[in-house]
Amino acid sequence: MTTGNVVFLVILLLAAAFLAYNAQRLYRYMTMVGKPEHRLDDPARRLWNLLTIGFAQTKILRDPTAGTSHAAVFWGFLVVTIGTVEVFVQGVWDGFSYASFLPAPLYALYALSQELFALLILAAVSFLIYRRLVLKPKRLQGDVVHGTEAVMILATIALLMVTLVITGTMEAIYEPDAPSGYGRLVGHGLALGLSGVISPESAHTVRDVSWWTHAIAVLGFINFLPYSKHLHVLVSLPNVFLSNTSGPGTIGAMRPMNLEDETAEQFGASDVEHLSWKNLLDGYACTECGRCTAACPANITGKVLSPRKIVVNTRQRLMEKAPLVVGDVGEFRRPTLVEQEGADAGTQTATAVLENRLLDNYITEEELWACTSCRACVQECPVSIDQLDIINELRRNLVLMESRFPEELQPAFQSMERNGSPWAFSPAAREEWAQGLDIPTMAEAFERGARPDLLFWVGCMGSFDDRAKKITVAFARVLKAAGVDFAILGQEETCNGDPARRMGNEYLYQTLAKGAIETLDRYEVKTVVTFCPHCFHQIGNEFPQLGGNYEVIHHTTYIERLLQEGRVPLDTDEGKQLTMVYHDSCYLGRYNDVYDAPRATLKRALPVVNLVEPKRTKSRGLCCGAGGGRMWMEETEGKRINVERTEELLATGADAIAVACPFCMTMMTDGVTAKGSEVPVLDISEVVASRLATGAPAALAGD
Amino acid sequence: MKIAVCIKRVPVMEVKFAIGKDGASVDETGLKYDVNDFDLWAVEAALQLNEKNAPGEVTVISLGTDAAQEQIRKALSMGADKGVLLKADRLPGDAFAVAEALAAELKDGGYDVIFFGKKSIDADNSATGAMVGELLGLPVVTGVSKLEIAGGKGTAHRAVEGGIEVLEFPLPAIVTVDEGLNKERLPSLKGIMAAKKKPLESRPAQLGTAGVTVQKMELPPERAAGRIVGEGAAAVPELVRLLQSEAKVL
Repeated sequence: MTTGNVVFLVILLLAAAFLAYNAQRLYRYMTMVGKPEHRLDDPARRLWNLLTIGFAQTKILRDPTAGTSHAAVFWGFLVVTIGTVEVFVQGVWDGFSYASFLPAPLYALYALSQELFALLILAAVSFLIYRRLVLKPKRLQGDVVHGTEAVMILATIALLMVTLVITGTMEAIYEPDAPSGYGRLVGHGLALGLSGVISPESAHTVRDVSWWTHAIAVLGFINFLPYSKHLHVLVSLPNVFLSNTSGPGTIGAMRPMNLEDETAEQFGASDVEHLSWKNLLDGYACTECGRCTAACPANITGKVLSPRKIVVNTRQRLMEKAPLVVGDVGEFRRPTLVEQEGADAGTQTATAVLENRLLDNYITEEELWACTSCRACVQECPVSIDQLDIINELRRNLVLMESRFPEELQPAFQSMERNGSPWAFSPAAREEWAQGLDIPTMAEAFERGARPDLLFWVGCMGSFDDRAKKITVAFARVLKAAGVDFAILGQEETCNGDPARRMGNEYLYQTLAKGAIETLDRYEVKTVVTFCPHCFHQIGNEFPQLGGNYEVIHHTTYIERLLQEGRVPLDTDEGKQLTMVYHDSCYLGRYNDVYDAPRATLKRALPVVNLVEPKRTKSRGLCCGAGGGRMWMEETEGKRINVERTEELLATGADAIAVACPFCMTMMTDGVTAKGSEVPVLDISEVVASRLATGAPAALAGD
Repeated sequence: MKIAVCIKRVPVMEVKFAIGKDGASVDETGLKYDVNDFDLWAVEAALQLNEKNAPGEVTVISLGTDAAQEQIRKALSMGADKGVLLKADRLPGDAFAVAEALAAELKDGGYDVIFFGKKSIDADNSATGAMVGELLGLPVVTGVSKLEIAGGKGTAHRAVEGGIEVLEFPLPAIVTVDEGLNKERLPSLKGIMAAKKKPLESRPAQLGTAGVTVQKMELPPERAAGRIVGEGAAAVPELVRLLQSEAKVL
């Protein structure tokens, strides 16, 4: 062993030890502060997520420019890291080379791949630096930008690649016949040009300097990660593997909550120790790319909410508090977002740190109540962070622990409790829409010994709201025209509690949901169809948490099925060419992956429909602004979300706007009115009902 | 400071009411119940006063069947300390009989302030609080919409025809609460859990003799549909005529 080897070995061990120290420190923070949560079920899907989202970079590529550059760097690093291992072994064991055991062609391939991928990374990184310094995308300018840090990291990566190439070139100069020479296209090419300029001796020196620079830079880089947002390099893949796996159908189910536990003292979260370790891992994984915030309807329209800030603040708070909790002292602390914004969250004394908390000191209630729970942030996050989970837990704390919520919510809560609906309507008026339509209630059907195939869950909007009642009737007409054996609950239907749950009132939610489950079970309901995506999602995906298991179908899917089976007698008149634009509902699309059925239904029902797509559509669609309980809150800050969305829909020049949600219906109708437009807003079932054959039985004609 | 609040279990008003078979009571099938709104504000007033003058104790008292325990628990979950149910098979239609039972309970309680709602939204008598005051010989301020209590005395605002009356009164006293004094808090889950363990005593109500009984109930006549008498200025004479002769409001 030479002195060089010994020095390198010492550096390598020190670097490894320091990295290990930081890794265990971060691990302890996460596990000792965060609450336990089981995240290893469904390994097949987890592996699939890891391969697609993680390795194939599918979510990153949703932004083609940044995505391609990132993927180039990521894939490049996967390849180049194999070379880094060789470099490290060389540092301790002079002259080591994979060539000693790899067959020559394979080694040549390896050497070539190192050079080519290094150049690929270099190109991508150069673009990314250019992008940050010159193009300055908006989402990287938002509430927190460690711009300098990012450029430093990118520059380091560039340095790694340059030194890699220089090392190879120099080796090719003084050792042109080395086995690695085969594959060294770039090195050899450069060497040919440089051999006259650089003597083999100088090449030796340059190579050594370059090699050491490379090795030290790698170790420095890795050890800098835990102190930077580039920690994501180490934790993104685990984070994707451990993310919420329930997949389409249940991906947006809120975290279950045990209210039976008499010993429970904390409900929801007001500080990091009330969050699960996975919420904290999300913090580590966040690289502050801002895609979540750029997609957030509240943020787009000028509200205070930024999903990125929620996650970054959670990490900052953890970094501030965890050392005290686990007994570490003198930790390196990065400047916090709040500090950047001029407030004091940095804190000087341990007491002050302990007196602070995540809620209020880092995240304000205004931010939390601005959320529409549309899930765009979760959808966009390239590393599967669940921003909404943190927001929901904080909302739960506000309501369940502190009774703190916007004043407008009190009547909604009270009405749900008293009248089984968020609006103060009489439960007796629930089936008024059905008068004269000859639609049985479950109670009536049971009385005469019938067991209807299908329960039509009408929902509170569909029961009480004058505009939505027209959707109810239209859908009932379609069902009757198709000869479906269905019934409604009538006065026995109540709110399923979804608004209460989204607004943080888990107690009220569970009371309502348990009552609804009892009713459904009493009538042996197996299949439920509903046109409200919120009811659809809640009954189908969240009732199982409370023991209610039903097949729940959204009416767009159900009608599409009926149309496919040719069961809906449609008018043969082709009608005039109609241009329609469909607005995706969050709870149907992003929550449940239903994007095609509404579109297919429109096309099938209207053979000459010309379906156009707005700027933001499908999984990128923009919320109507009513989700997450926002329906019951005033929207006073910034631009109204529904207006923003309506503008996008109207910009397509469509003759009509199609929706598949009563909440979207209200918001889009208001938006159209606000814009002074006359474009009609129609529910999918209304479009189909308007096309029902005129020769259909008289009973169907009523409206 | 010892504070008592008297609350009542009342039906939720959003339903369509039907008259019971006896013709003198409300048909109770399908009714949902909650704490009388005015009483919720009374509970809130008691809690706020207690928070300001802590440590103290807020006792919630209700007269009714066992079912009224639910409403007492709600007040406990809002933050009251203990509950008392004065058990009666059914609520008499006579406020005085109720007032006597409440007065018997409150008499030796040593309360500094006793809160009532201004009225119950079902019986609508606005009488109980004042009657209890008379029975106990305490000062009574009814329909209070602003209240300050400190140093053994209180200052209250109450709306009177066309203005506001400001009153001062010594403690102990009875205050009945009007809309606008506050907004009741939503019980937190922490409060709901804690309420399960709070003491709730139950004893037979010492009801007074009812001097008033309900003979008969009738539903108001169905409201007639609106009528369009014309359009624009031409409709005015006819409208005025109808307002004078039919509606008799002019």
